[in-house]
Amino acid sequence: MSLMPFAASRPLSIGVELELQLLDCNDYDLISSAPDMLRRIARQTHHGEIKPEMTRSMIEINTSVQYEYASLVEELRSLRNTVADAGRFLNIAVAGGGTHPFQHWSEQKIFDAPRFHYLSDLYGYLAKQFTIFGQHVHIGCPTPDEALYLLHMLSRYVPHFIALSASSPFVQGHDTGFASARLNSVFSFPLSGRAPFVLRWEGFERFFSKMTGTGVVESMKDFYWDIRPKPEFGTIEVRVCDTPLTVEIAAAIACYIQAMARYIMEERPGEPQEDDYLVYTFNRFQACRFGLEGVFIDPRTHEQRSLREDIADMLLRIADHATELQAGEAMAQIRQILATGNGASWLRQTYAHEHNLSDVVQQQAKLWMND
Amino acid sequence: MMTLSAYLPTWPLLVSPALWLALALVIAVLVGEGLVRYLRLPRIVGYVGIGLLLGSAGLNLIPELPAAEWRLLVDLALGILLFELGSKVNLRWLKANPWIAGTSLLEAAATFSAVFGLLLWFDIAQVTAAVVATIAIATSPAIVVRTVTESHARGQVTERLLLMTALNCIYAIICHKLAVAFMHGEAGTGLIHTVLQPLYLIGGSALLGWLFGIAFNSIHRNLGRHEETFSFLLFGMIAIATIVASTLKLSPMLILLAAGLIVRYQRQRPRAFLPHFGSAGAVLVVLMFTANGLAANLDGLRDSMLLVLLLILVRTLAKLSSVLVLARFSGISLQQALTLGIALVPMSSLTLLLTLDTAAAFPAFSSGLGLVLMSCIVILELAGPILVQMALRGAGETLEEET
Repeated sequence: MSLMPFAASRPLSIGVELELQLLDCNDYDLISSAPDMLRRIARQTHHGEIKPEMTRSMIEINTSVQYEYASLVEELRSLRNTVADAGRFLNIAVAGGGTHPFQHWSEQKIFDAPRFHYLSDLYGYLAKQFTIFGQHVHIGCPTPDEALYLLHMLSRYVPHFIALSASSPFVQGHDTGFASARLNSVFSFPLSGRAPFVLRWEGFERFFSKMTGTGVVESMKDFYWDIRPKPEFGTIEVRVCDTPLTVEIAAAIACYIQAMARYIMEERPGEPQEDDYLVYTFNRFQACRFGLEGVFIDPRTHEQRSLREDIADMLLRIADHATELQAGEAMAQIRQILATGNGASWLRQTYAHEHNLSDVVQQQAKLWMND
Repeated sequence: MMTLSAYLPTWPLLVSPALWLALALVIAVLVGEGLVRYLRLPRIVGYVGIGLLLGSAGLNLIPELPAAEWRLLVDLALGILLFELGSKVNLRWLKANPWIAGTSLLEAAATFSAVFGLLLWFDIAQVTAAVVATIAIATSPAIVVRTVTESHARGQVTERLLLMTALNCIYAIICHKLAVAFMHGEAGTGLIHTVLQPLYLIGGSALLGWLFGIAFNSIHRNLGRHEETFSFLLFGMIAIATIVASTLKLSPMLILLAAGLIVRYQRQRPRAFLPHFGSAGAVLVVLMFTANGLAANLDGLRDSMLLVLLLILVRTLAKLSSVLVLARFSGISLQQALTLGIALVPMSSLTLLLTLDTAAAFPAFSSGLGLVLMSCIVILELAGPILVQMALRGAGETLEEET
């Protein structure tokens, strides 16, 4: 199977996908109620798309193509309200966050669709352990070469996106010490990691046909890369973020990525180099483990600083682009996260106060459902 | 001078009747485990079945428990299960989804009408028919709670089953008292009692339930983290509430159910209790089912089999069709509604107590329709757990189910 041609899309358009957790209102454990939620939602008209995910305790919301923070956050709020209302009608709570703090993976049930059963057979317990919740952000690119350029330039900033969105400190009932433990589950998949260092679309097509030739993959969907091209949309998709605790933060992070993309596309600050990836996994680990306190090593200068400093610095550099994109409010939200902490620190503080993970999840759901 | 009889037992052996119950309990538990392991049936079937087999309705190997002791046991065990049921149910849900309240009311009304109509057709006096019809409204909280716990079921059908069971038990207890009061009215004790008695019952039970709920919440706040201490305290409180209620001639069942609902309503906090609040509660629950089997009375089946079977049939159809009719509006699929309707069928201790209370007030009842109801109870107590388990499996809500 050959790769689909790269569809043209409006540069810097954005789309957001959020995977959400469905919770039992009695004990706030995950509940396999996606079919009930989708049946209820199917009876209503709503913006964007609401879809099933791998296990039946997950549901995914997708926005339509957006350009600005204001309309993006409005659509996300409307999607949230649709999902939250369906949840209230069915006595199911809905929450953000990258992991469920105490669910047991073996109790998850695979959603009844051929692709999910195929994946479940292939990956075994990994598929069920994949009951994790991420935010994916699409950025529109005018040409496929531009998409590959943006992809490799953005890779330097992957730790930013991880640290800002990190909201999965608890796994299977314990504090993992990580800000985003969710990504540890992603890394166990054989085709995770980064895209190959290819800067021309013909080169990427050659890579793809060689890979399908080996029989390892069938489509782009089989790559679980941190950032991957999505030719049928004409976008690249940033996939490292945890689902934040509110739709507002999700929208702000999407717009932060958008403003950074504009900075990269307009100012073209240098060309990507393969050696940029020497520090890639170290930086990414630091972001997962320590969040905003993580160490960031600049791939070119090898200077070390905290991720918080590097993000603050970036905010200054992209300020004009953010203004152009009407993303002032989003940038203020990002500054707010730098000052008061990400979702992981909110969850840890809530746990320190509640002493009980069920209560933490209840607060988490309240926050997300805007109760 | 010492004789043999001083330290050896004399023949024939004099054994306390409690030994027989203990023996039945051991056999019942072993059989229950066998049913789970080899036939994947619920344990309660074994508990009830062994009681039935060994008791007076079966091989008559084990004498019946004295009525007072049996009653205390059932009051306590059912009290635990009703409080547990109430604390699992979120009343706020009814506000967010009024269709569930609608389904519950329709289901109760349809059950009442169907059974009432059937009995009139059998030439039963109106008031008596009404009393039986109110008793038929209730789904067994004991079987529902026990089977849901045992199969680790979670999901829409499970939650609706718990909620609708709690609601129809409330309707049944209150309507039953009203119907009995009418029976009194007809017997000529005067209008004032017909009005005052149910008022006293409802008001008094609600007040006691509320007090219990408040006491419970404050104990939980202070001692909730010491799980064992907390379970013991709770268990004692349930016993006190049961005894106080009987003393005040209130309904212990209504009080404990209301208390559970209030506890859940007041603090919208997730709370995890041990099943039946610990092993002491669990032992009582097993004992109750076995004792129910021992006390089973199948005379009604011999004398009026047709009525017994028709009563079960129309009650089942009424519950099933009501749930099916409103399924779409309340947000479940037809398949889920089918399983929910079936899961609402079981009858057990609560129905039995209402029947016995009626019989105590009106001796004629115990030899007539009382026997018919007793037979229905025996059948639906044996079949009930299997139906609930099948239903929850069919809805894909049990943990063992794998796709």
